[in-house]
Amino acid sequence: MPFQDHRDFIETLKKTGDVIEVTQEVDWDLEAGAIGRRMYEMGGPSTWFKKVKDYPEGFTLYNGSLGTWRRVAISMGLPPETPVREIYRTYEERLEKPIDPIIVNKKKAPCKENILLGDQVDLYRFPAPMVHEGDGGRYIGTWDLVVTKDPETGWTNWGMYRFMVHNKRWLAGWPQPTSQLAHQMKKYYLPRNEPMPVALVIGADPIAHMVATAPFRLEEDEAKFAGALRKEPIELVKCETCDLLVPAHSEIVIEGEILTDQIVPDGPFGEYPGYRSGTMAEGVGFRVKAITYRNNPILTMIALGVPIDDSSIAAALTAGIAMKRGLKHRGVPVVDVYVPPEGVTHLIYVSVKNGGAGVTKEVLDFFTARRVMVSKVIVLDEDIDVFDNGQVLHAFATKCHPGRGIVVEHYEGRSNSLTPCYSPKERERLKGASVAFDATWPPEWPAEIIPIKASFKTIYSKEIQEKVIQNWKSYGFK
Amino acid sequence: MKIEYQTFVRQFKDLKEGKQHLFVKDLTPGPRKYDTKHVLAEISSNIEKFPDGDILRIRSESGVLLPQPWVIKILQELPESVPGHPWEDVYKAIKKV
Repeated sequence: MPFQDHRDFIETLKKTGDVIEVTQEVDWDLEAGAIGRRMYEMGGPSTWFKKVKDYPEGFTLYNGSLGTWRRVAISMGLPPETPVREIYRTYEERLEKPIDPIIVNKKKAPCKENILLGDQVDLYRFPAPMVHEGDGGRYIGTWDLVVTKDPETGWTNWGMYRFMVHNKRWLAGWPQPTSQLAHQMKKYYLPRNEPMPVALVIGADPIAHMVATAPFRLEEDEAKFAGALRKEPIELVKCETCDLLVPAHSEIVIEGEILTDQIVPDGPFGEYPGYRSGTMAEGVGFRVKAITYRNNPILTMIALGVPIDDSSIAAALTAGIAMKRGLKHRGVPVVDVYVPPEGVTHLIYVSVKNGGAGVTKEVLDFFTARRVMVSKVIVLDEDIDVFDNGQVLHAFATKCHPGRGIVVEHYEGRSNSLTPCYSPKERERLKGASVAFDATWPPEWPAEIIPIKASFKTIYSKEIQEKVIQNWKSYGFK
Repeated sequence: MKIEYQTFVRQFKDLKEGKQHLFVKDLTPGPRKYDTKHVLAEISSNIEKFPDGDILRIRSESGVLLPQPWVIKILQELPESVPGHPWEDVYKAIKKV
C-alpha cells in the first residue's frame, strides 16, 4: 500500500528509525532550520518539531522527508537498504505506467478540515520557518508542490518552487523564469493580463513532492506519474476558489493567484546549489484567497543547503531518469545517467554505447537545448558504472583529453541563475555556459590500440580469474 | 522602545540617504516577525540624524549584514505591492512609484 499522506509516511519512519520527534520547544526563527541543516550534514534522520515557539499545540514542523536514499526507498515502498541503482531502476520502470488521478468529494478530503476564506486568511497562523540567518524572510514553501494550469490545453503542472511570506495575505515567490510555471504564465496569463490561479500544497504524500521536483516534458501531468510511482491513483480534490485540483490528503493548501500587474520582493534564500547567491527581488507576487488545512497541520520544510538533503536526493533521482528518457528520445545511445547528489544537478554522469566526440556533442546539445540547469557533464563508456564515483573519477582523470576532450557551449536567456559561479550580470541576462567532458575512447581508434584497463576483471583471462577466485581461501585469504 | 526593521539592497552602495521607497521587514519578536511593509521613509547612516527614528538593518543580495545599522523614520505606509510584471526587478519598479 502506498502512503496516502505524510502522516502514515512519518509513522513508518518511526518504525525504521528514520525520524526523531523533538518535544522540546524549538524556535521557528532559525533554530529549526539550524537543527535540520546540522542533521543533514550528519546524515541523520528526519526531524519532527512537535512544539514550536509562538504557536499553539498541534501546529508542527517537519524537516527532511526524503533527505536520504533510505527515506526515498521507504517512500517508494522498497526496503530501506535498497541500492541507489535499484531505486533508479524501479523509478524508471514504474514511470512507464502512468495512472490517472481520482477526484474525490470535499468530504473525503482531509485537507478541507479547516477552511479560511477572505478576511480569515492569515499566513501567520502557521509556523513558517526562518530557515537561514540572512534570508529574505520566512519560507513557508520549501518542500512544497505548486499547482498551476494551462487553461487552453488543460495541462496541470506540479513544480517545487520557493515561496516566502510577504505579509498575512501575500506570498513572494521565485519560480525561475525558465520554469514550467513561467512557461504557462508567459503563454497565457501575461498576454491577457489575467491573474494566474495557483495552489501551494504543503505536506502531501511523499511521492507527490518527489514528482514535483521532476523535469517532465511540457504538457505532461505530474499527477499521473505520482500514480505510477505509487502504483495506485493519487486522490485529488478541487480548490475552494478555483478549478485547480490538489492532493486531497495534504496538510495545508494555500490558494490564490499570481498577479500579472503587481510584484513584491522575494529572497534572497539559501538555495539548492548550497549557496545564497544573490537571486532576489525578481519574482512573483501571490495574493492568497483561501487556506485549507488538516487538524493539527504538519508544515513540511527543508533546511536547504549544501548536499546531501531532500532537494539534492530527489532531484538526483527524478532529473536523472528524465535526462535518460530525454537523451533516448533524442537518439543518443545512452546506457545510464546518474546525477550525484553532491553535484546538485550541476554535474551529470552519462554512459553511452560507442562514445566519441560526436556523441559527446549530442549529449551537450540535449542539455543546452532549452532551459539549462546543468553546467558539467561527464560522458563515459558503457563499461563504467555511473553509480560508482570512484570509477567515474578514474575514467575522467585518465580518458578525457585535456585539449580535445572538452566541449563548451555558451548561451543567453536560458541559464540557471542559481549557479553560484555566474556573475550578477550573467545572472541578470540568464547568460551561461555548459561543458561536456568526453571520457570515452575515440570510436575511430582501432581496437588493438585502445588501452586495456588494468583491473582484475579486464586485464586477466577468464581462466586466470576463475583459478584465483577458486583458490582464494587456499592462499590463506578470507 | 525603538522598532528594528531590515531591508535588502543588491550592494550596500545602492542605498542612498534621504527620502526613499523601501520594502522593510519588521523584526519585532513574535509570530509576525519579518512581516513586510512597503513604506516611504527617511533614512540615514547617521543614527543621530533622527533621534525619534527606528533602527534599520541592511543586508546585501547574498544576505551579508552591514555592520552598522542606519536610522529610519517611516513617513507613510504604502500599498503592499508595487505595479510591475512577474520577474521584473522590484528595485526598478519601486523607482516608478
